[in-house]
Amino acid sequence: MASPAPSAPSRSAGPRIGVFVCHCGKNIATTVDVPRVVEALASHPGVVYAARHEYMCSDPGQDVIKKAIQEHRLTGVVVAACSPSMHETTFRTAAEEAGLNPYLLEIANIREWCSWVHDGPETTDKAIRITRAMVEKVKGNHPLEPVEVDHATQCLVVGGGISGIQAALDIANAGYEVLLVERSPSIGGRMAQLSETFPTLDCSQCILTPKMVEVSRHPRIRLLTYSEVESVTGYLGNYHVVIRKKPTYVDPDKCNLCGECAKVCPIRVPNEFDRGLSQRAAIYVPFPQAVPSSYTLDEESCLGLNPLRCSECAKVCEPKAIDYDMPEEMIEEDVGAIVVATGYDLYGKERMAEYGHGTVPDVIDGLEFERILSAGGPTKGEVRRPSDGKVPKEVVFIQCSGSRDPELHKSYCSKICCMYTAKHALLYRHNVHDGTAYVFYIDIRAGGKEYEEFVVRAMEDERILYLRGKVAKVFRDGDKVVVWGVDTLTGKRIEVAADLVVLAQAMVPSAGTEELARKLHIACGGEGFLKEAHPKLRPLEALTAGIFLAGAAHGPKDIPEAVAQGSGAAAKAIAILAAPTLTHSPEVAEVDEDLCSGCVVCVPQCPYSAITPGDVAHVNELLCEGCGTCVAACPSGAMRMKNQTDAQVKRMIQVALGAEPVEVGRA
Amino acid sequence: MPPRPRIAVYWTGGCGGCDVSFLELGPALLDVLAQIEIAFWPALVDTKRSDVEALAPRSIAATLVNGTLRTEENVEMVHLLREKSELVVAFGACAYQGGVPGLANLATRDEILRRMSGNGFRPSPPPGGEAEDAPPGLLPQAKSLADEITVDYVVPGCPPMPPLIGLLLGALLSGDLPAPGHVFAHDKALCEECPRTREERKLTKVVRPHELVPDPNVCLLDQGMICLGPVTRGGCGAACPKAGMPCTGCVGPTPNAGDPGLAMISALGSLARAGEEGPGAFAAEDRLLDALVDPLGTFYKYSLPAYVRTGKRSDR
Repeated sequence: MASPAPSAPSRSAGPRIGVFVCHCGKNIATTVDVPRVVEALASHPGVVYAARHEYMCSDPGQDVIKKAIQEHRLTGVVVAACSPSMHETTFRTAAEEAGLNPYLLEIANIREWCSWVHDGPETTDKAIRITRAMVEKVKGNHPLEPVEVDHATQCLVVGGGISGIQAALDIANAGYEVLLVERSPSIGGRMAQLSETFPTLDCSQCILTPKMVEVSRHPRIRLLTYSEVESVTGYLGNYHVVIRKKPTYVDPDKCNLCGECAKVCPIRVPNEFDRGLSQRAAIYVPFPQAVPSSYTLDEESCLGLNPLRCSECAKVCEPKAIDYDMPEEMIEEDVGAIVVATGYDLYGKERMAEYGHGTVPDVIDGLEFERILSAGGPTKGEVRRPSDGKVPKEVVFIQCSGSRDPELHKSYCSKICCMYTAKHALLYRHNVHDGTAYVFYIDIRAGGKEYEEFVVRAMEDERILYLRGKVAKVFRDGDKVVVWGVDTLTGKRIEVAADLVVLAQAMVPSAGTEELARKLHIACGGEGFLKEAHPKLRPLEALTAGIFLAGAAHGPKDIPEAVAQGSGAAAKAIAILAAPTLTHSPEVAEVDEDLCSGCVVCVPQCPYSAITPGDVAHVNELLCEGCGTCVAACPSGAMRMKNQTDAQVKRMIQVALGAEPVEVGRA
Repeated sequence: MPPRPRIAVYWTGGCGGCDVSFLELGPALLDVLAQIEIAFWPALVDTKRSDVEALAPRSIAATLVNGTLRTEENVEMVHLLREKSELVVAFGACAYQGGVPGLANLATRDEILRRMSGNGFRPSPPPGGEAEDAPPGLLPQAKSLADEITVDYVVPGCPPMPPLIGLLLGALLSGDLPAPGHVFAHDKALCEECPRTREERKLTKVVRPHELVPDPNVCLLDQGMICLGPVTRGGCGAACPKAGMPCTGCVGPTPNAGDPGLAMISALGSLARAGEEGPGAFAAEDRLLDALVDPLGTFYKYSLPAYVRTGKRSDR
């Protein structure tokens, strides 16, 4: 039969459906009688063409579909093959190339739903029923066009640690504007507090500060320190963010870092940057290389921002940089993508009942020891203990403090502690040549480039005593800190009267991570770390489109990983910023405005906050992911899913469960 | 002057409230009565079955039937009226979907008769009476009007509210008739007419109307009352919710709600948040229905025969 010249398929003339059944090599054909499926579907009402192929997804297989679409003027296509998550895009693209609207093609999943899970004679019957049901669905499908939208071309990066810095620099260097928001007065994050980095023993600040300076000088990075994200609305490509910038009461352009203000300030409070091991004035600069390089007046510690109470700092400030009337600023911007790199805190040592609840001054955490080791730290890099400033001769390092302890603390491994403890012990031995270092460990996890070698060096060359076992108790005895533990390799009870104990505390998400996640509508996992869209294949993305994760806010990781993830998140963000327009699947929910009573039942159901309440509900097509929760919840049937209406689903069920016997038992 | 349209109003198994509901039209009823001729309306004028039998087929312009179909006589009468009428209107919740008397379908006919005989009811003729003096036979199950005859229009409500009756009378008198099957009520749910605010949508407890004095401004559903507003057609002006009583669904389901009980259960399941304390709270979302007294009577108060299969198969 000679087909007429291809013309625009007319739907009014009745459906002309093509069915294409895939053998998938043996994956389908072993248990499903493919020719029988073709035969059964060929006689199904509305089907004008049915064919099969060894591999439908191959180029020749796709050509069979394309050719049939044109020759038989198909108005709809069903490909009976693997899951639509595998090849729906492949086949829809092929249909589009042949001139058929891609949303008139559907996949009948006869592999995962059928051939892989059955082997009896009913397998072919089920494949036929699944395929027939999809034919019925396609009959009710309408051609759809992807939703297109313009987008903002700047990016918000939340968190000015190394991961956020890297992301901001990569995005800015690609030519896009970046808004970098940091909560504290300076960027730099945890890395700025470290002394040296494992395994190369690079000076942490020496390798970090060039990047900080690059951020401060970059023409396309707008740095907002002492600032927090107030609110986020909108969607992929068009987020509207409000940033609250707290007043520093010091004009950074005028401040020349002379430091006279801090000298005259009558207030002394624990210095956060030194983890409380030193003190600072109410007006301070966190560390000499801070970016922006300016003093900050800490409103909470200050006597009152009032010349009547105290204005010593303003009196001595030669450049007149101090302004007690500096207002809080609310900065509103539209951004196309958001990178969240809010970093980590250490699990509080006050939670460690077994190690003295944080009340023993010479039991410190890893970051405190980093400050003690730092040349710019409270002891100028000399290892001296906090209680009396003495040089400790015996130091016990306890790994997995709070980690890998599901009964009492955190169940996960904090990943970096094995490495930094080895570094701590090694640096201690370099500092105190006659000192003894003990490390209690559960086991050593040194997976990383040159990590294992570094630990071996600490154990063998530096003669650090590694003891496999947990510490049961740490308590103060005179000026000693007694550590009771067990060496499980020898079975011996160990007691060390130490001068200093360093706890490798678990990493936890930084304070406020959950609150920020709520503002961004992204998820946190059970331990509070930000949750990725897929643990293997989408590790940089939050489930909310256009929001990316970087650094330790996503889970414990070391510097190279945090940097790599920062760059990765930047690449993801750039892909959005660089796109001419953004498109979104049109298979979304829509409201029948003639039926919607505005009862608002749907609004809280939407996991994507895509529904705006009103006299009638409104679905934002760009936010909707087509999950259908609202459709199921809508009491009056006013919400429907495009190309997945109740009528279609009912028809599919009727056909799938149809009473007529379909080949059962005849195979 | 064209002849006035002949109208019939008949009352099958109902409470009579539908007949009374015409009085709610007030003085407007007089205008209506002046424009029609009453062919048959046992509640209002002395007309007999024989009067109807004497009429020519389709000579009644419209018959408004209220009440559920409960007896064999009900069935005979509605077939007779169908034959004599141009249009038949299911008037009120009973005729539309079975109504409150339809809840009797939760019991079998024998159970009902046993219970009624305890109250002195005799299904047989009185002692010494003629066979025709016996009460008409009880159907195995209560039915809606459409289960027996073709129904052209529906005026829903228990009883129908004056604005809805007005819509029907307006259409009949003007001759501007909607398509068959039309329901004289709004297509949107009555939430549209309800002034109560609904902001934080969630259901943390289930309370019955006598257990709570509701906040006058907040959605009753948000306060734990099972209000069927979201699945029920508007047109009543949300009279019950305005008065602090949850909607019980008398106007019937919105056009796309499908089975309104299922739609409502689905919506409640979506809104349910377990774990609160206090009366009516439920321990887990899937225990919601345990907290709900009388689910069938809550979700199908006016529509059990239309949606819920009950009784023995032989009774249907």
